[in-house]
This record gives sequence, structure tokens and C-alpha cells, in this order.
Amino acid sequence: MIFKILITTAAMAGISGVLALLLVLAERFFANYGECKITINDEEEFTIEGGSSLLSSLNSQKIFLPSACGGRGTCAYCKCKVHEGVGPILPTEEPLLTEEEMAENVRLSCQVKVKQDMRIEIPEELFNIKEFESEVDKITDLTYDIKLVRLKLTEPKEISFKPGQYAQLNSKPYNGVKESVSRAYSIASPHFEKDHIDLMVRLVPEGICTTWVHDYLQEGEKVKFVAPMGDFYIREDEGEMIMVAGGSGMAPFVSILEDMARKKSKRKMTYFFGAVTKKDLFYVEEMRSLEERIENFTFVPALSGPEPDDDWDGETGLITVPLEKYLKSHDDLEKSQGYLCGSPGMIDACIKIMKNYGMKSDRIFYDPFG
Amino acid sequence: MKKTPQENIIHKNFLPGVITKEGFLGDDPRHVHEIVNEDTRILARLNRTPEQVADRLQFFIEQGKKGLETKVDLGDYTVQIIWSRGLLPCPFEEPRLHHKITCTVEVKDLNRTFKYSQLSVHMIREHGFFGGRGSPFRLNPTEMVELLGA
Repeated sequence: MIFKILITTAAMAGISGVLALLLVLAERFFANYGECKITINDEEEFTIEGGSSLLSSLNSQKIFLPSACGGRGTCAYCKCKVHEGVGPILPTEEPLLTEEEMAENVRLSCQVKVKQDMRIEIPEELFNIKEFESEVDKITDLTYDIKLVRLKLTEPKEISFKPGQYAQLNSKPYNGVKESVSRAYSIASPHFEKDHIDLMVRLVPEGICTTWVHDYLQEGEKVKFVAPMGDFYIREDEGEMIMVAGGSGMAPFVSILEDMARKKSKRKMTYFFGAVTKKDLFYVEEMRSLEERIENFTFVPALSGPEPDDDWDGETGLITVPLEKYLKSHDDLEKSQGYLCGSPGMIDACIKIMKNYGMKSDRIFYDPFG
Repeated sequence: MKKTPQENIIHKNFLPGVITKEGFLGDDPRHVHEIVNEDTRILARLNRTPEQVADRLQFFIEQGKKGLETKVDLGDYTVQIIWSRGLLPCPFEEPRLHHKITCTVEVKDLNRTFKYSQLSVHMIREHGFFGGRGSPFRLNPTEMVELLGA
């Protein structure tokens, strides 16, 4: 009886071993796609070794599509059109594509494998996105949970971006975290200071990248980032700019306002910044300096829960309170533009109020954290 | 118990440094399925379902959102949410992302505080997963029923 069991076990193990070997051989010989040519926008083309995802194949050629989930097929930011050289839509793509997108050959580049020559289409502005090598020049505490990180560019040595755009910072492995992750942070430095970028990084509970920045990143360390990304930037216009932010949502407005100061803009601008207590408030002196340098700029900080020790005599309440008070006292708001950066909750609340007072939704621009 | 390749991928997602810094298992040596099964049994003994607990936790998040990071007083409870930049995938590998919302609830009478995330609520509702013992956002099902009256 025992002999029979041993023979059966050995036979099963042998069959499993042969099947595993066959799979390895099949992978080696049948999944070898050889060289594949990718043609982009019918203009540019490159050849790569097939077998990788389209997203990583593009990255290998220094073409960067936005991606927030590291190629897991969950964020749907890396969409592009694939006109030729791809199979049917995969079950992992289907939930993230609309019917119109499917009809236009839109695919998730992280899910599509390059197995043959491909013809793809990506927006022209994405060609401006580059990978930068940099050195941490300075790390400054802005509040107890927000740090300002200045990255001095080493290769390429200069960056061009629109004030309001963001960078994707690549973290490094540390203390039990074995892989690098990539996270988006708005650029806080002015676009005319081309040899560095400033990022405002707020510590996220359990965040992999923000913990790395707050607890492990050192001045002098070399780091990589990909930039510029995003469509949150100023639309040239005559109407008033009404800006609202909270927390690290301050970052794009620093860049935007420095640009306006340099241009000696005469546009009317009002910037509402929300914090809970005085210890959450930062960059007040810098904003007061901008008020002096920009003719029609007003900074309105508001605390929603000031401590007795804060000795606060400014605006109080949620940021929606001073915003509404301001909008109520103005008419002709349909010519104004709204610019918002913060949590989706804050943005939703502010958009609702702006629309209630006559601002047009196509003139409200925002960078939601989500 | 032998795991399928898909289960191996899913298991990796629960480890430290993959989706969150500390991961979702803490120092719990059990397999995710065992954690889910035991917590589901505990809830069933209390005549509760994961959905009921998730509904209650989501209620606090929705109330907290109104405070835009300021504490919201709800009578017996105070709630405060921090809504950080970015999105998180679910470790159970679904094509959907979740906002990085951390919710802190204070139960005034008992002087007790507990913390969880938007992703925790999703994992409780859809997968019956309350977190491994010792993990940062582990919610003890018995305590949840006691504290929330879920």
C-alpha cells in the first residue's frame, strides 16, 4: 500500500516537473516576439524587443505617459490610441474604458503587450515630458507635516514647464520598502528658475513616498523625477482670478503668482488659503511679499479651528465661508476664472459656491488631489 | 494550503511597501482568507454583517468630509478626516482606485479613538477584510460593533 502511494506521488511529481519544463520552453520559444517597431503619430518610430507592456516600452524610449498606479491597470491615466498591432480589449481594460474610447481604439498602455509592430497615437504635449536626474539641494520644514524639497537638476540641467503643472517623484527603497514608487507633486518654484524645482510634500499616513521624503531623504542625495505633467495652469484672460487652496495645494499657486509678479500682471487676483490652526498655516510672509509685488493681488488666509493661543484675528471658518462672503459682495462674476487645488471635498464645495454665484463651470479649473 | 498564482500576487499586495508602508497584515501570521473567515464568524455571532459595519464607517467619512479637515462634532462622536493627494489600489486586485482618506473617530463617552481609511471601508464591505492583527488600520470587529453600534 505504502509502495503504491510512493509510486503515485513520484509519478505525479514527474508529470508536474515535465509540464513545468514545457511551460518554460514554451515561454522561451513561443513568447519570443523579436524586434517590434512602434510608430507614434505617424511621425516618430522606434524598435524595441517585444514582450513588455506598451507603457514600459515607451518609458524605455524616454516617452512618459502619466501613470499613478505603477502599471497595475487601475488608474487609467496611461490611455493612448493603438490603431494597429494589438489584440482585442482585455478583461482588465474593459471596466476602465468607455464605449466611445473603445470605438476610438483607446487602450491602457500598461495592459497592452507589444507583440508585433504597432501604430499608436499620443497627445503631442506628452513629448515634452522628460525624466530628470537631480540632487536634493535643501529640505525645509514648512509645517509639522509639510516639507519643501528643492531639487537641483543635474541631467538635463534645465526644465520648461507651465506654472501649475506637476512632477512625478520616484522614491527609493528604504527600511522594509523594497520597491521604488512614483508620486505626483505640484511644482512650487517659478518656471523661470529653470535649474531646480521645489515640491511641497505633505506626510500621508502610511504613505510610501511621503514617509521616504519626510524620514529618509537627505540633502545631497540623488533622486529622479518625471515632468512636467498636468493641465492645471493659467488661462490668459482679463477677468479676475479667484484662487482657493488648502495644505500642500499651496504649491502650484506659488509658481503661478511668481509668474504673475514677474509679468507685472495687473489682473485682479484673490487667493483664499484654508488651514485648521495657525500651525497648519505657512508661506504667509511670501504671500504678503507677493501682495506688494502684484498690484491687484489679495491673500486671504482663513483658519477653520483656531486655537486660543493662536491669537488669530483673520478670517475664520471653513474656506468656503470667506469665499462665499467675497463672492456675495461681487457681481459680474461670470467673467471671473476660478482656480482650485486641494482635496476633492474642498474642490466640490468651492465649485458649488462659485456656480451658485454665477461663475461659469468652463471657467473653473482645478487640480484635485485624487 | 497551496495558493494559486493569482493568490500569490494578491498576497504580495498585502505586504509592507507594496501599496502602503506597513502593509495590511501587521504581525498576523495567518493567510488573508483565514483572517477574513475568522472575522466574518465573529461578526455573525454578533448578528452583524461586514456591510453593516462598512455602512457605519462610511457614514463617519461622509460626515467628516463636511469639515474639510476640521473636527466635526456629531454628538456622541467627533470625526476628522485627512484627505491626502493620490489614490490607492485595493490589494485584492480590482480595477478601481480609492481616495487616500484617513478618518479618526472619537467616541466621547468611552474616551476611545480609532482610525481607518477609505480603503479599509472598501475592504470590509467587499472582502470582509478588517486587517491583520498589528496592522496600522486593523479594526477589531467586536470593538467596532461595541463602539459604533453598527
